[in-house]
Amino acid sequence: MTLTATRPAATTARTMTRPRRPRGKWWLFALLALMSLLTVAPFVAMIIVALSPRGKPTVPVQWPESLTLDNITQVLSASGFAQWTLNSLIYSAVSVVIILITASMAGYAFAKKRFPGRDAMLWTFLATMMVPFQATLIPVFVLISNLNGVDTFWGLIVPTLANSQAVFLMRQFILGLPDELFDAAKVDGASELRVYWTIVVPLTKPIMATLGVFVFLWHWNDFLWPLVLSQSDATRTLTVGLTILRTEELQWSMVMSSAAISAVPCLLVFFLLQRYLVNSIAMTGLK
Amino acid sequence: MRHRLRDPVTGLLFVLPVLVLFLIFRIFPTLGAAGMSLTNWNIGGEWDVVGADNYVRLWNDPNFWASLRVTLVYAAIFVPLTVLVSLGTALLLNAVIFMRGLFRSMLFLPYVTSFVFAGIIWRWIYEFDGLLNGLLTKIDLGPIQVLESSSLVLPALAVVSCWKGFGYSMLILLAGLKAIPGSYMEAARVDGASAWQRFRSITLPLLKPALFFVLVIETISSFQVFDTIYVMTGGGPAKASYTLIYGIYERGFRFFEFGYAATWGMVLFAIVLAISLIQRRFLGRGNT
Repeated sequence: MTLTATRPAATTARTMTRPRRPRGKWWLFALLALMSLLTVAPFVAMIIVALSPRGKPTVPVQWPESLTLDNITQVLSASGFAQWTLNSLIYSAVSVVIILITASMAGYAFAKKRFPGRDAMLWTFLATMMVPFQATLIPVFVLISNLNGVDTFWGLIVPTLANSQAVFLMRQFILGLPDELFDAAKVDGASELRVYWTIVVPLTKPIMATLGVFVFLWHWNDFLWPLVLSQSDATRTLTVGLTILRTEELQWSMVMSSAAISAVPCLLVFFLLQRYLVNSIAMTGLK
Repeated sequence: MRHRLRDPVTGLLFVLPVLVLFLIFRIFPTLGAAGMSLTNWNIGGEWDVVGADNYVRLWNDPNFWASLRVTLVYAAIFVPLTVLVSLGTALLLNAVIFMRGLFRSMLFLPYVTSFVFAGIIWRWIYEFDGLLNGLLTKIDLGPIQVLESSSLVLPALAVVSCWKGFGYSMLILLAGLKAIPGSYMEAARVDGASAWQRFRSITLPLLKPALFFVLVIETISSFQVFDTIYVMTGGGPAKASYTLIYGIYERGFRFFEFGYAATWGMVLFAIVLAISLIQRRFLGRGNT
């Protein structure tokens, strides 16, 4: 019942395209296969180099005579690397939790509550989406630096929590939930917090899962803000750490190993949840 | 009755955390950027209001014009490349049924990684004795110095960003293609329309909104490129890949001229705002 708002569109689209789609011609198939191989080839080459014994990678990449995990274990034990990974995890996980809570609360209020200034606030939020983060990078940095937040976790995390896309997505989803649910709960005398916890949170689980995955990927892959804000290994994230590794005298097999390790959480998320990711982009245009 | 009276308060309370975050980290800095661009704020935190001085300096700054040119050239290469690749792969995915799911996953895979990751892998591919030159030498075309050539560096960077990001636009276009009723195609086929005619007079017009959306978001993203440039070229060779964002970063965090860096930021803001307004004009509100 909760998903009826989105379901009809999806099913009609499917039934309309289904009747007698012509089977693809072989050359279309070949072209598609070639394109797919081109996108995946760099990953394969990276993994081969990461698993090859140290030394100059043979070009073009060839399957090595023996595979080794030496590069991987050496990178993992290298100074800083484990710390950067942990920092990235903290940066991403804390942001996901807080954004999901604050965005679902605001989304609920914007969708189902009347309060003074609501529409003006929504309009302002919408307008801030047009301001690229890079344009406000300097004032945000000066602000955090004046609050002594440079090279701290709170300084790193807090400015990224103002995520208008998350609020809008939540609002759109909650708008589709029937008003009767909330009215009934209130007639039963439930407090607002209880309504939030027992109605809003359970019913928004699908959108929370999708949004959570995206926020995780955004933060895990984020670069410019961590670059200017983290200045020591204590808060440096993996993306920033990787660019330091690059400048040191390192063999490509090591660099490829660290790049491969850095991509593991993203690839894991992708392989476990790809249907989810793909459908949500198609439906909501989430970036 | 009681809850209706309580509504304004609870509504505001639920919005409060997001509201505070937005005021402090989005709205205030947006106004702050405009204000800072009128000062000579520097690393020590000292500043005077210098009025339009920064804008005059910007106007006379060859670095700024060069970076604007680089950014526009980059966009002129990246946007058509990405839109064509997304459209092409979406059309192929829509036409081929066998193993479609696998192909879609393979094409979308790079999207979940970071631009830093993409930059590192492709630096290795573009290296003088890297993967690309290895292949080119095999067919007697190489070697070429991709990232050291001021004419090749922007196309090379555009390829990296396209590889990393086209999967998203591809999915948007694929959803648009799937929404086109099959009966239209059927009717056109019965009338003897060729594949090209069907594409031109049915697919393209009906795909227009999705195509326009993709065009706008890819244009905006082309103005925001930074990570791959930082990792792969550092703005070089000879500033051939020195984009607007790279300029903001270097002014702010290498020379610590915060006021002047904010001026560069205002230009970026103006460009992105113009693109967003055009988008809104064509698509209407609520289609973000």
